[in-house]
Amino acid sequence: MDRRDFLKKTLCAAAAASCPGTLLSLAEGWAVPPVPDLAVVRGPSPEAITRAAVDALGGIRRFVSTGDVVVVKPNIGWDRTPEYGANTHPAVVAALVTLCFEAGAGKVKVFDRPVNDPRRCYRQSGIADAAEAAGADVHYVDERKFKTVKLDGLALKDWPLYEEILEADRVINVPVAKTHGLSTLTLGMKNWMGVMGGGRWLIHQRVHESIVDVARRVKPVLTVLDAVRILTANGPQGGRLEDVKVLDTVVAGTDPVAVDSFGATLFGIRGRDLESVRIGHETGLGNMNLDTLNIRRIER
Amino acid sequence: MRIKTARWLVQIAFLLLFLFLFIQTESKGDDTLGYPVRLFLDFDPLILLSTLLSSRGLVPGFLLSLSAVVATVFLGRVFCGWICPLGTIHNIAEIAAGRRKPVLPPGARKWKYWILFFLLSSSLFTMQVTGILDPLCLLVRSLALSVHPAFQNGFAALFQTAGDWPVPVLSALAEGLHDLFRKLLFSFREPRFFQAVFTGLLFGIIVGLNFVEKRFWCRYLCPLGALLGLLSRKALLKRSVSEGCTDCGVCGRVCQGRATGEDAREWASSECLACFECDDLCPSGSVRFGFSREKGGGSFLPGRRSVLASLLAGAAAVPFFRIFPGSRAGVFSGKLIRPPGALDEGDFLARCVRCGECMKVCITNGLQPAFLEGGLEALWTPVLVPSVGYCEYRCTLCGQVCPTGAIKPLSPGEKESVRIGTAFIDFGRCLPHAFGIPCLVCQEVCPTAMKAVWFEKGNVTDREGGVRTVKKPYVDPARCVGCGTCEHNCPVRGEPAIRVVSTGESRSKENRLLL
Repeated sequence: MDRRDFLKKTLCAAAAASCPGTLLSLAEGWAVPPVPDLAVVRGPSPEAITRAAVDALGGIRRFVSTGDVVVVKPNIGWDRTPEYGANTHPAVVAALVTLCFEAGAGKVKVFDRPVNDPRRCYRQSGIADAAEAAGADVHYVDERKFKTVKLDGLALKDWPLYEEILEADRVINVPVAKTHGLSTLTLGMKNWMGVMGGGRWLIHQRVHESIVDVARRVKPVLTVLDAVRILTANGPQGGRLEDVKVLDTVVAGTDPVAVDSFGATLFGIRGRDLESVRIGHETGLGNMNLDTLNIRRIER
Repeated sequence: MRIKTARWLVQIAFLLLFLFLFIQTESKGDDTLGYPVRLFLDFDPLILLSTLLSSRGLVPGFLLSLSAVVATVFLGRVFCGWICPLGTIHNIAEIAAGRRKPVLPPGARKWKYWILFFLLSSSLFTMQVTGILDPLCLLVRSLALSVHPAFQNGFAALFQTAGDWPVPVLSALAEGLHDLFRKLLFSFREPRFFQAVFTGLLFGIIVGLNFVEKRFWCRYLCPLGALLGLLSRKALLKRSVSEGCTDCGVCGRVCQGRATGEDAREWASSECLACFECDDLCPSGSVRFGFSREKGGGSFLPGRRSVLASLLAGAAAVPFFRIFPGSRAGVFSGKLIRPPGALDEGDFLARCVRCGECMKVCITNGLQPAFLEGGLEALWTPVLVPSVGYCEYRCTLCGQVCPTGAIKPLSPGEKESVRIGTAFIDFGRCLPHAFGIPCLVCQEVCPTAMKAVWFEKGNVTDREGGVRTVKKPYVDPARCVGCGTCEHNCPVRGEPAIRVVSTGESRSKENRLLL
């Protein structure tokens, strides 16, 4: 290696190292603006901010192709009406269903395995009606469709997971942001408890590791964290309007750890303060360091 | 069209309506059901009368039951012959059994009056056990607790087995049928009840008695039939036999209620089900039914002594049933967790007719028929068994379907302030308390707005001397409503580490926990 060669290589390496990934992709795609890692959109209309967040990430076609079977997985865990912020906001779910169909999805399925009675949760949350109106196939979880899946995780060797989430072409996670007695907060990764079968309460013994174990297996193409109305106390079920804080916000991204890390900041804590986020980061599931991420904030 | 054909059409229509309302006695996720599911019970004058006697109060459907009384006074037991769904089931069973000649002596028809007087006398002395034998209560209860669950369990297993066969057409057919049944006939979740076998057995025997004699139940046992019989003694609709009668005996053989016997001219209006079979089938056309104010149509009544005896027996049964430690206080067994809105135990028992509507509608299957937890008097009354199903916090359906007001209808707001029991943590079994293992499921699922289950962080030392911090749950008895969601979801199975007992229930003064 001569001196000229050495200089050239060093400069190139330095340039590459100083260039964030998004700039390189900008260089590849000329006029396309850089796609952010996270889109944080605020505005009064849940539909509009959901749509704006997906658009900011490159549009729904980046995630859904013609003919895809898509699962949109909200949190429908509780017998509460939308204003209590215990379930995902129905308008956010419906907006995502509509977007999937706009991208040519063949079928969009919406389901959850609730804690309270499924009929009341589906109806009272407003999600069944809203998602059905948007054209989704809304159905109750069929207990026969859980298949034991090898996870080889930190806490869980294997666990029965819902077949339809494993077989879908694309999975979109639509959790709601709220507090939780044991895990401090429940955000995106914890939402996968809703596709776990069997005696899932056992995972509380090692809840943070278990959350990550399942999140490693169910990889969504997109996570849209509903923070339209966040539950700041008495979560995850709530029931007091005093505990609900209206943020009119959604946080969207492809990295489940990054979304949860940002979600934590909505409650005034850091992502690394949540053990599941820290474990997700350390095991390479995603990136919790918000200062290294390209975050686009949009007001609508 | 012969009257018989018309009657069958009416009977089938009412049976189908009854079954339709029965199937609709289930939540679809809304706060109300959308159908008057207890309609048949609302029309039942025996429920009205016995509740009136036992509780000195009216039932919600009293106007409808009064209309049934008025109809019977004019038309006789048309309810038995044309409307009663259990009667129609008897008719169907009787066809399956083949026609039988009466085997019991005619005097056996008195039995039902004795039963009626027994029940009414007990009711007068505040013990309401009428529902055990009231035909509509019996039918709803038997279907809800036994027949329908067995039907669903059996067919689901059948479809499942057929669906698992490696024959493509068969498995698709089974899957399709299963979906259809789930939509139209099945409950959302497969119902299970502790007393299923016994309630079903009683029903099976009653229907099976058609193999001894047709409409055995209606002729000899039914207390509602007896009450309607008393009301129809002077009914305007009367049977007459003209001169052309040849004494062929057809009318006696076809008679459903055994109102007429060997002598065709004999006719007891109180036993006639107004089925008009005799009018239809009389070969000489001499039997007629028509309205008349003339006297005629002998009635059938048990003798004075036997009536008195049954009244006394009914009265004597009351203390007999109640010589039971803790009877009616509701504090004998902590497992006697009554549904939200249930009246104080004494008033509750004075009203509950064990129709099973609340257990059928209970969204989690948690309401179960009691066996002897509350004494024999409380047999088959509803109790919440949280390990089977908890009381869904915002659900108020049991109070909506109760035909007697034993369970008050509550608004969702009212329900939040009703306590049906209190949860107690078993520190020796609770994962964080006993073993230092994180859990806190009870706190997570606790539905009260300010959670009744709270936690504190505490240090635990393991056997190697290592110290860890876990969150340990505690119950705030002032906030707990006793819904049992915690017990139901507690990951410690078998005997959960948090359990609800009726202690502190707001309906009872004796069972109070807090000052």
